[in-house]
Amino acid sequence: MRAFEPQTRFLVRGSVLLIALLTLWWFVLLGPMLYLLRGAAGVFLMIEDAPSSDWTLRVPVDVTLPGTPQQPLPWQLRSIDFEMPRSEAVIFTLSLPVYWAIILAAHGVRRNLRPLLLGTAVMTAIELVLFLGYAHITAADAAAQLAGTEDAAGKWIHHVGVYLDVSVFPYAAPFVVALSLDLELSGEVFALRQARTPGTTAIARRR
Amino acid sequence: MKRRPAVVSPSPFRFVLIFVGCLLFAFGALLTPAVQSLDVRFSSALVQLSQGLILGCGGHATRDAAILRAPGGFGVEMRDGCNAINVTVLLWSAVLAFPAPWKMKALGLVAGSAIIQALNLVRFISLFYIGQYSMTWFEFAHAYLWESLLVLDTMVIFWLWVQRTVRPAAATHAGV
Repeated sequence: MRAFEPQTRFLVRGSVLLIALLTLWWFVLLGPMLYLLRGAAGVFLMIEDAPSSDWTLRVPVDVTLPGTPQQPLPWQLRSIDFEMPRSEAVIFTLSLPVYWAIILAAHGVRRNLRPLLLGTAVMTAIELVLFLGYAHITAADAAAQLAGTEDAAGKWIHHVGVYLDVSVFPYAAPFVVALSLDLELSGEVFALRQARTPGTTAIARRR
Repeated sequence: MKRRPAVVSPSPFRFVLIFVGCLLFAFGALLTPAVQSLDVRFSSALVQLSQGLILGCGGHATRDAAILRAPGGFGVEMRDGCNAINVTVLLWSAVLAFPAPWKMKALGLVAGSAIIQALNLVRFISLFYIGQYSMTWFEFAHAYLWESLLVLDTMVIFWLWVQRTVRPAAATHAGV
């Protein structure tokens, strides 16, 4: 059982930290983080508060729509507006506390200050990219519907895109980033030292 | 003495390439109509199992396809993503991307999936009771906490599997 000590320790510490940090995020940090996300995304998109306190997003698109009986000539669509409930934006702030929990569970604050700070910046950028990705996929989907150019394959690609963006990446990204930045953790998880031949390790140590 | 196939250190580039490829293929396939119908049937089977466990432990629950209902009227539906297929895909992609003998990979896929599904049953049943107590806590536990905990568990399952896979091979290499 001693051989599995690092995994057990990481699982227990990680679970406790996840519960603690996600509770803190849910009750305290969520509001400020949504505010910051809205501000950062506002650099790339126009975001306004809807009367329902949800967000109205204006996403630039460039689509030519076919003529209709009301408007016989084809016309250019420059942007799509859609409302996004605040509750849907919450997922784009989740990755940060999850990342902190993983890094702190791995080796504590002192030994992990660099990956903690660097990872916080990387996760913030990823969250923003995921949010912008969601906005663009949704707008592209709506534009394709308006233009009548959406086929089954296009619909499926949009569906897979939104699914990955909302249901997979926000949960998986913190783990991938943690393993990429914390080399000690990734060395342990991927057993990089054990996989080397013992002779090689001994020679390396002597040098 | 029969020699085990050696396990080599994974090349990060190769690992990431296979991991991402498996991930995209699996999620792409998961969202096709044919696999979706299997997914729904799988969810219904899990809900039936959950109901059986609740009744077996003296609790009360009725089932309507993939919906589990409490006597008070609260119902929770196991939809796409709630059946732990997402995290199973993550584990499968990581195991397939790691350079190991196929026998060990098969062991990792089967045992890992079984552990994840067992944990997911605990998750689903706990959500069934949390939802009867508070919808706010249900939302928090359902969409954020349990999902993140499951990914953490998946990472630890992968870590344990790597440890089991690499150790004997390293020992064989050293002539033990």
